[in-house]
Amino acid sequence: MLSDREVTSTLNMLRNEHLDVRTITLGISLFDCASHDLDLFIGNIRAKLAKYASRLVSVCDEVGSRYGIPIVNKRISVSPIAVVGAPFGSGGMVEICRALDAAAEEAGVDFLGGFSALVDKGFAKGDANLVEALPEALASTKRVCSSINVASSRTGINMDAVALMGRQILAVAEATRESGGIGCAKLVVFANIPQDVPFMAGAYLGVGEPDVVINVGVSGPGVVRKAIDRALQSGLDSTGRPLTLLDMAEVIKTTAYKVTRVGQMIGTQVANELGLPFGVADLSLAPTPAVGDSVGEIFQSLGLSSIGAPGSTAVLAMLNDAVKKGGAFASSSVGGLSGAFIPVSEDSSIEEAARKGFLSMEKLEAMTSVCSVGLDMIAVPGDTPAETISAIIADEMAIGVINHKTTAVRLIPVPGKGVGEEVSFGGLLGKAAIMSVPKGTASGFITLGGRIPAPISSLKN
Amino acid sequence: MQKYSASFLGRDCPGVVAVVSSLFGESRCNIEAMTQTTLCGEFAAIFVVIAPENLSLDDLRKNLVDGLAATKVDLSVMLRPAIGQAWGAGLELEPFVITIDGPDGPGIIGAMSRILGRHGVNIENLQAILGEMSEGRALFIFEVLVPKTTDLGRLRRELVHEAQKLNLNASIQHRDIFEAVNRVSSF
Repeated sequence: MLSDREVTSTLNMLRNEHLDVRTITLGISLFDCASHDLDLFIGNIRAKLAKYASRLVSVCDEVGSRYGIPIVNKRISVSPIAVVGAPFGSGGMVEICRALDAAAEEAGVDFLGGFSALVDKGFAKGDANLVEALPEALASTKRVCSSINVASSRTGINMDAVALMGRQILAVAEATRESGGIGCAKLVVFANIPQDVPFMAGAYLGVGEPDVVINVGVSGPGVVRKAIDRALQSGLDSTGRPLTLLDMAEVIKTTAYKVTRVGQMIGTQVANELGLPFGVADLSLAPTPAVGDSVGEIFQSLGLSSIGAPGSTAVLAMLNDAVKKGGAFASSSVGGLSGAFIPVSEDSSIEEAARKGFLSMEKLEAMTSVCSVGLDMIAVPGDTPAETISAIIADEMAIGVINHKTTAVRLIPVPGKGVGEEVSFGGLLGKAAIMSVPKGTASGFITLGGRIPAPISSLKN
Repeated sequence: MQKYSASFLGRDCPGVVAVVSSLFGESRCNIEAMTQTTLCGEFAAIFVVIAPENLSLDDLRKNLVDGLAATKVDLSVMLRPAIGQAWGAGLELEPFVITIDGPDGPGIIGAMSRILGRHGVNIENLQAILGEMSEGRALFIFEVLVPKTTDLGRLRRELVHEAQKLNLNASIQHRDIFEAVNRVSSF
């Protein structure tokens, strides 16, 4: 028999705290679709995606309904197209991207990730062609997301790729000028990209992954925030002792356990219904623009005036660590990015802090050294030089490479707009005031090109 | 070997289970299963016992009634031959939790349970919690077994529709989700 407390606390999480499964992502390997003939390759892709993805949305809806847990997004990730489509030129890459977009639409998913290249040590032909194709590919599709891994702790930072991505991000923004450069919201530059990320825009299915697999991305910033608020309501524990940050870490850890259990259970059920293996649960606290579903609000609950105030890096470090500890106990299949996201436009509280000047690019960069991703969904002036974008990418990659963690950059140069002006991307992508980029120039540094070597793994200080 | 089921209802107090179980022992009955609960000072229990061949239903009833009177425990007893098996044998069943919450009023349980009965859904456990969320509000928790053949979508729609007529919220969810969130166990 369930206790009334078990029932009411679960109902509260669902009704008032935005507990949901943020994404179920169906990973599909496309290696067996390879062909030297573009039409045949595209035909193979469409057939395989149709075979495995046709039931994804209906099964997710049925399982979500049975358990009373909304599965907010259903998505697909595929093998890196730069590898499986290596024989094709940039025009062929655009055609492949359009075919993926059509397949995603047919499956009823909102995003498909994997228009990706792994170039942390250098470019193969397919990589170069895919990166060249990015502006047209992302401008002529709605659902396809791209990730480019330009650095890793084992190989260092490919600065030629960093330089190129600075230029291509601007080109993608220009190609999607009419919609505020929204193409860049579907393009992420990574260091140490995991092979099993279920979250967009970084989702792709790595070469070591199964043929077809279900990965799940959990969420729950609203649940964590409410749990902290409840604990702090009295400010005392059951013995009358004042609560401290140690207690708050415990609250976050316990809540992350609950959220992850929900994700693992729903993901496993979906996988079973589809007759596919379950891959990983990604423990990320992923916000949405909805009030009450914000990572930034957690900072306020823990006593900061807003995210970005002094103390923010420490709070984020504690939050990220506690989420991992709780989640790791809840699931033995943890993967993906697993941590707290701080996407500016997608989180109403973070967006407000940035708009009011409490949160700068520099502070965001500092915070990314202790959280799961990086500089995410940040709108910058459309006239930002390519070298400056590249240098921001290089800084972020360095944090990931040296600290042996994933970092990423998703900047959106908004054509024709300057600092302080607002841009709206709609839906889960949210809105943002355009943020200033760090002063100074880096053109000489970026022009040098080459590779920053992999870091030494001893002498850790 | 014969099985009887006995239900007891009356004033709760320390020692009440000891008295009842002793009376069964004195009649050489072995307790096979039992459940008990208390509510607002009332004690309720169901015992399923295996009785000796020569102990009739009437003899055991007399032993229990006389025994309770002698110990001055304020309990009523009802005795009948036990039903062989639980409801649903042969059916594929899934456990769900239905929660109804909102302003308290007469007829809520009746309205909801009529829908459940119509869909062949069996109530395993029902709790009514009054005033906990706020004054005048009630929460009803139905733990039910739903045959796999039941149209879950239709059941949900009917429950929600009926609840809305009474200004209530209704939800139906697989029980596993509550266990996953609140308990440390594998699923």
